[in-house]
Amino acid sequence: MKPFRYSSHDWLGKASAGLILGFLLALSLGGLLVRYGLQGTTPYSLQHQFTMWMVSPLLVTILSTCFLFRSTAQAWLVLGAANLLAWGLLVI
Amino acid sequence: MRSDIIKLYKDVHTWTGIVSGLLLFIAFYAGAITMFEKPLQHWASPPSPFGAPTPLQDTQQLIDRVLADYPDARDGYQIVFQPNAQFPARMSWQLPNPDAHDHDPPQFMHANLTADGSLVVGESGASPVSQLVDDLHRQVGLMLPHEIAMPIMGAVALLYGVALVSGVIVLVPTLVKDLFAFRLGKNLKRLWLDFHNLLGIFSLPFHLIMALTSVIFAFHDQIYDAQEALVYRGENALTQPSREAGSAENTGARLSPAALVARMREQQPEFQPQRMIISTAPRQGPSLMVFGSNPRYGNRSPDGGVVGLDPYSGDIVATDYMPGMQDGWGATLTSFFTLHFGSYGGNTVRWAYFFLGLGGAVLFYTGNLLWLETRRKKQKKAATETAVQRPSARFLGPLTVGVALGCVAGISTSIAAAKVLPALVSPIGHWHTVIYYLVFCACIGWAFLRGTANGAVELLRAAALATGLIPLASLAALALPGLSWNHRDGGLIVDVVAALGAGVLALLARRTAQRIHRAPIDSIWCVAPAAPPLRADARTLERA
Repeated sequence: MKPFRYSSHDWLGKASAGLILGFLLALSLGGLLVRYGLQGTTPYSLQHQFTMWMVSPLLVTILSTCFLFRSTAQAWLVLGAANLLAWGLLVI
Repeated sequence: MRSDIIKLYKDVHTWTGIVSGLLLFIAFYAGAITMFEKPLQHWASPPSPFGAPTPLQDTQQLIDRVLADYPDARDGYQIVFQPNAQFPARMSWQLPNPDAHDHDPPQFMHANLTADGSLVVGESGASPVSQLVDDLHRQVGLMLPHEIAMPIMGAVALLYGVALVSGVIVLVPTLVKDLFAFRLGKNLKRLWLDFHNLLGIFSLPFHLIMALTSVIFAFHDQIYDAQEALVYRGENALTQPSREAGSAENTGARLSPAALVARMREQQPEFQPQRMIISTAPRQGPSLMVFGSNPRYGNRSPDGGVVGLDPYSGDIVATDYMPGMQDGWGATLTSFFTLHFGSYGGNTVRWAYFFLGLGGAVLFYTGNLLWLETRRKKQKKAATETAVQRPSARFLGPLTVGVALGCVAGISTSIAAAKVLPALVSPIGHWHTVIYYLVFCACIGWAFLRGTANGAVELLRAAALATGLIPLASLAALALPGLSWNHRDGGLIVDVVAALGAGVLALLARRTAQRIHRAPIDSIWCVAPAAPPLRADARTLERA
């Protein structure tokens, strides 16, 4: 079997997974920080603002690394699973 | 690192860069100038009709007169400690404008009490040109409605962030070898690449800050909305009840502005108050807020930070945005703004950001040149015909030269016009925008008409001339004092920097002119020699 080689041909599928699921994941990670790290906060408090700011570095990191998934399907599956886990922890 | 990953990220870097590069050029060039927005506005604004500000101890009289005559000021007003072009009088208040959008700049009225006791009320007359430069910066050169331009800016910022990460990944394997290499040789692409890498890697922290903060500046409303809808829903486990605002019993009389300044100095001697806002019924926050800066700390905005005072005792009551008095969370959040605006470390950092901003513009310009150099068709040694460049290179070459130099020339012309426009037209804000876009579009058109090489030389000359118009406008005001103005205090720095800039642009024009006649025939910088092999081809080549 030929060894797997990365290429940029399926960039659109990976990048859209990175953008959509990456944004949702960044939102939920901020929520997890507030819920489990800070035991809640008031709306628009400094802590809330901090979690809003965190979306940017998280999203850019995910958008930059999503090309390292081997396929579009893998990108959606892995990021989707990460979202399910994070949002699950948030709603329980 | 695996070669396929390098190749992958090279593709990512190329395409994110090429899509966002020219818009980022405008944002960075204009952004560099906004580091000196205040001196620029001072230079560009006619002398204030208000004269010396009312002495601070007489300010209560001024307040009483204004509140009696101008009902708009009764909801809230502002006392200015350090008058400038934007707030030239001792007192000002916001005009109600029910049609205004959230992001429209507020309209102010200003008032002063002269020495003989007469009340002078009017608009500031401050030049709108510094606001134009700021808008071009924030909206990546697109003077579209805020709600259209900001998502475009945010998308550009996201692409820019990805371009930074991918660019570093591409560079990492050869970083040690290439870092201090600057190969001035026959291989022009190598030279541009070395320069691009050098600039990129040494200003990387600056660029990462700009990319990450700009994403938030563009999308904070959307993110807050999404958080409200999905994360912080109503009374769920995440939210605590709001803190009760501390409402102490109001006893006695409000302190006078002079007394408040004295109380402020007692508590925070290094804080330099610029202005204070008194609101009778604040929607949020304390009813008395003092804007000012503290040079020892990072300030949240280019103008400084804010502190809330008790209007009766002058005690500091709100420190969320007060430089040096914030808690860890507040200081962390402020640092994001501070690092973007360069509002720390005074003039040293301001100049550093100015040059980093210009360096950023050059980074994007060289990025586009690399794209062109990589894609140009090489002349085969044995070929009798000259190489015909691809359509993409024939399009991107003039576009790069036209947009970049058109932005420089457009901003310069619009700034220079500030000293002439008030005598000719009204309202001038609209005309500044028109002048910018006329010059900008004319430059792009010229670049396509004349081709990359000739276009670059001629537009560099045009940009040098346009930038030279700035000190020339001041000289003209010296010769014809009735028509225009020069300020005795400050302002000269604008003329000096513009004159230097014009000199640099003229030098670049000269060097480029020399180069295009020496360039190899298959270069995008080549202007066909006097007797080209085929006339038609030579003409295509000129445009390549």
